[in-house]
Amino acid sequence: MNPWILSVIQFVVVLLLSPLSVGVVRWIKARLQGRQGASPFLPYVTLLTLMRKEMVISNSTSWVFRLAPFVVLATALFFVFILPLVTVGGAGASMSHLVVVAGVLALGALFLVFGGLESASAFGGMGASREMTIASLLEPVIIMAFGAFAIVAGSPLIDRMVGMGGPGLLSHPGLILSFLALLLVALAENARYPVDNPATHLELTMVHEAMVLEYSGPYLALLEYASAIKLTLFSLLVANFLFPMSLISSASGIAGVIIALLLTITKLFVVMTLLGLLENAIAKMRFYRIQEFISGAFFLGLGGMILVLFQSL
Amino acid sequence: MSIFPWLLLISVIGMPLSGLVAWAWTADKNAKGALMLSTLFAVVGVVGAAGFLRAPSAISLAALPWASSLIAVDPLSALFFLFLSVTAALVSIFAIPYLARESAHYHPRMTVLKTTLFLFGMQGVLLAASPMVFLFFWETMSLASFFLVMSDRSASSVKAALLYFIMTHLGASALLAGFGVLGLGDLTLTLADVAVASSTLSPGMLLFASLLLLFGFASKAGLVPFHVWLPEAHPAAPSHVSALMSGTMLSMAVYGLLRILTDVLPTVSIVVASAVLILGLLSAVYGVLYASVESDLKRMLAYSSIENMGLVFSAIGLGLFGRLWGFPDFAVVCFLAALIINGAHTLFKAGLFLMAGTLVSSVHSHNLEKMGGLAARMPMTGASALLLILGAAALPPFAAFTGEWSLIQAILSILPSLEPMARIILLVALSLLTFTGGMAVFAMGKLFGIAFLAAPRTPEAEHAQEAPATMWVPVFLFAIAGLFAGLVMPWILLTTPTLHLSIANSTLNPIAIFLGLLVFFLIAFLLRRALSSRTLERPYHTWDCGQPITPGMEYTATAFSGPVRFLFRNFLRTRNITTATPIVASNPWIATRTFTLDIRSFWYELFYLPLARGITFLSHTVRRVHSGVIQWYIALIFLALALTLLIAL
Repeated sequence: MNPWILSVIQFVVVLLLSPLSVGVVRWIKARLQGRQGASPFLPYVTLLTLMRKEMVISNSTSWVFRLAPFVVLATALFFVFILPLVTVGGAGASMSHLVVVAGVLALGALFLVFGGLESASAFGGMGASREMTIASLLEPVIIMAFGAFAIVAGSPLIDRMVGMGGPGLLSHPGLILSFLALLLVALAENARYPVDNPATHLELTMVHEAMVLEYSGPYLALLEYASAIKLTLFSLLVANFLFPMSLISSASGIAGVIIALLLTITKLFVVMTLLGLLENAIAKMRFYRIQEFISGAFFLGLGGMILVLFQSL
Repeated sequence: MSIFPWLLLISVIGMPLSGLVAWAWTADKNAKGALMLSTLFAVVGVVGAAGFLRAPSAISLAALPWASSLIAVDPLSALFFLFLSVTAALVSIFAIPYLARESAHYHPRMTVLKTTLFLFGMQGVLLAASPMVFLFFWETMSLASFFLVMSDRSASSVKAALLYFIMTHLGASALLAGFGVLGLGDLTLTLADVAVASSTLSPGMLLFASLLLLFGFASKAGLVPFHVWLPEAHPAAPSHVSALMSGTMLSMAVYGLLRILTDVLPTVSIVVASAVLILGLLSAVYGVLYASVESDLKRMLAYSSIENMGLVFSAIGLGLFGRLWGFPDFAVVCFLAALIINGAHTLFKAGLFLMAGTLVSSVHSHNLEKMGGLAARMPMTGASALLLILGAAALPPFAAFTGEWSLIQAILSILPSLEPMARIILLVALSLLTFTGGMAVFAMGKLFGIAFLAAPRTPEAEHAQEAPATMWVPVFLFAIAGLFAGLVMPWILLTTPTLHLSIANSTLNPIAIFLGLLVFFLIAFLLRRALSSRTLERPYHTWDCGQPITPGMEYTATAFSGPVRFLFRNFLRTRNITTATPIVASNPWIATRTFTLDIRSFWYELFYLPLARGITFLSHTVRRVHSGVIQWYIALIFLALALTLLIAL
């Protein structure tokens, strides 16, 4: 199959499924807490409603406030283009370099921070300062976690690295540590427990929600959509490092594509269920204890790297 | 016969001449004509250097036989000359309105004369063929910048300048001694002859000389622990001079080190390689952490320079290790990464210092806490600043990112084929380099976010106006140059015939990344256009919980960097002093509170104050000799003479 067709399939699937995945995790959390829960399809309605609503723009803002949602969404779309989520070997695969991924993640975080600071209130500033700290400290963890996979795969491209997942984790046990580091990165990057609480913006525990507090209408929709895409793509990426064989490649036929699509949906549901379980089972960390979380993730990544490097000795 | 080396010479000779025009032509009060002339000569230098780099059969200055022992050009010096000339041209344009605005603080004509001499010194360093010429121009550069640092004649600037003077002369004397040892006492040899002469030295002497040279270059580059002058001297100088000092003078140290490593000491011992790597990593981490917590705009940029020099020296150190371990390809990639990061730093740091000059002359303060809301008031300066900080944070697709990218990729690809000890060294380096990369995003995000976004914190910031085009255009051009360099740098380095390079792994393609991001930005933009109306919006104040928000409630630079100060408190050792003075004697809770944050005390007190005390003690001891009796002094002269003769014979 043509790499561009693979990219288009992935693009359409991820973009269509991402509001659903946010809805599913909310629904599961509600059910686990004994609430009825809103329909998993609610985020679609929310996004479309937001697109039609009036925007309120704070007087303290400048053009940067208007630029930020587009840049944040653009970085999320860029990841959908380059990472192996539904298909492997797509048109953007040659750009899925681990350093590029770390850099573009930081770029998106930086613009989100700028948007948060523009509100000129302590809420936005606090969220911005915390998000910037977390995003900066995560960069080395991302490089370390993917670095071990890169060494085993012999390529710095994440597109090649996913092939090392699954059974590969058992032949290179160090990669299990790297995978765990990746899991922690995924939680922190998506502002989930125990780093951030995605459900509230009225507590001083907030990071992500505090930054987007001043956004409304279409800009808020863009930001919400971007974070839904990011959640989906990290979930799929993590799942793919466990089950890389279900990805659509250039060798897949029509039947393979259909099976892979069904598997993608299954993966998303499983990851969202586990995420819902996790968020009900643990408490959010105090912000000043985040360093333990991130340094833990870093040393998992470093440990994975060392095990991979010294396995043959 | 190529014309390009001659253009370089014209540029070098013309530079001090344009400064003399400023001095001699009293009608030109703001030195406009002289600055235009120096821009012109800098542009001549750009053409010369670029042409030299593109011409494969580059020739030396064979037409001037007497000159070949004094000056020489090769691709390495041409590359540095190119960056120097681009910076000099843009900085000279910026200086025209800047000095006219700031003529109350700086004497324009004197400043221009000193600036051109400073540029002349740097150009000469790049073209020097022998240690003698090198040191002559090195001193010209150092002295001119010493006088430039105290241009505003304030007590604090003079203090900063003296500190700089001491550090730079310790470095220069180390260079003199190092070259003296290598050339067996003869400083007039060409560098190739120095290499021949030094081959007869014992390994111990060679190590001694290389450590002396390393100290000289490290102190000029502001590497920790020889950095103490840098955060004082760079902020004190006029902003266009800070741009030159940070952007180009620091890279002279990089040039000097690379020059020695390529021409004189192709193989260095493991001690030197470790020293370069350790100094580099230490500076990178130290610089980035202090840049993250500093609230003085120019001082913060100075710390960021320490960080970037640290990255450059780390890359060079890794390259030296690569040579020692027998991986010449890895070494080449590391040196290339050092060149790319250094070039990127020249462009974005010069641009950022010019931007700082614009802000300081609008807001009348160096302090980030006194700014805010400037992006709305100075949109073009703000847009340029945004591009520059993205470059300085090493984000894709800017030049610094390209450099770090190739470095990390090289480290990852070489790791499996190394000895265990070497792997550990590389893992430590990789951890610290990526940590630095992450924190640089924090530091630069803080700079832009606090200075340019949200509501203005002071009336000066509130009434700030866009700078004239002659001030923001150079800043913008630096930003564009940084972006352009990031996009084409891998390509330039690969296709420059005189560099003879090839990188086996050709996955570096910043252009594709840039286009990808641009396309998705457009998609996001069109998506919003297609799905919603653009007119439905209403300006209103920020949600305020029912109580009006004042700028005093905004997050400040100090508050923004709070998490970093907390997380790295054991390293930074910042000192918070909160004092409460009760207003009402009967109730201690009603009090005025002041908060003081001292961020630079710890390391200064740990290393420099004991040293200073020791020197003061020594000089007090020596002073006892000075009894005032002339016979005693004559006896001392005889003693000294006898001792010298005893040693010399």
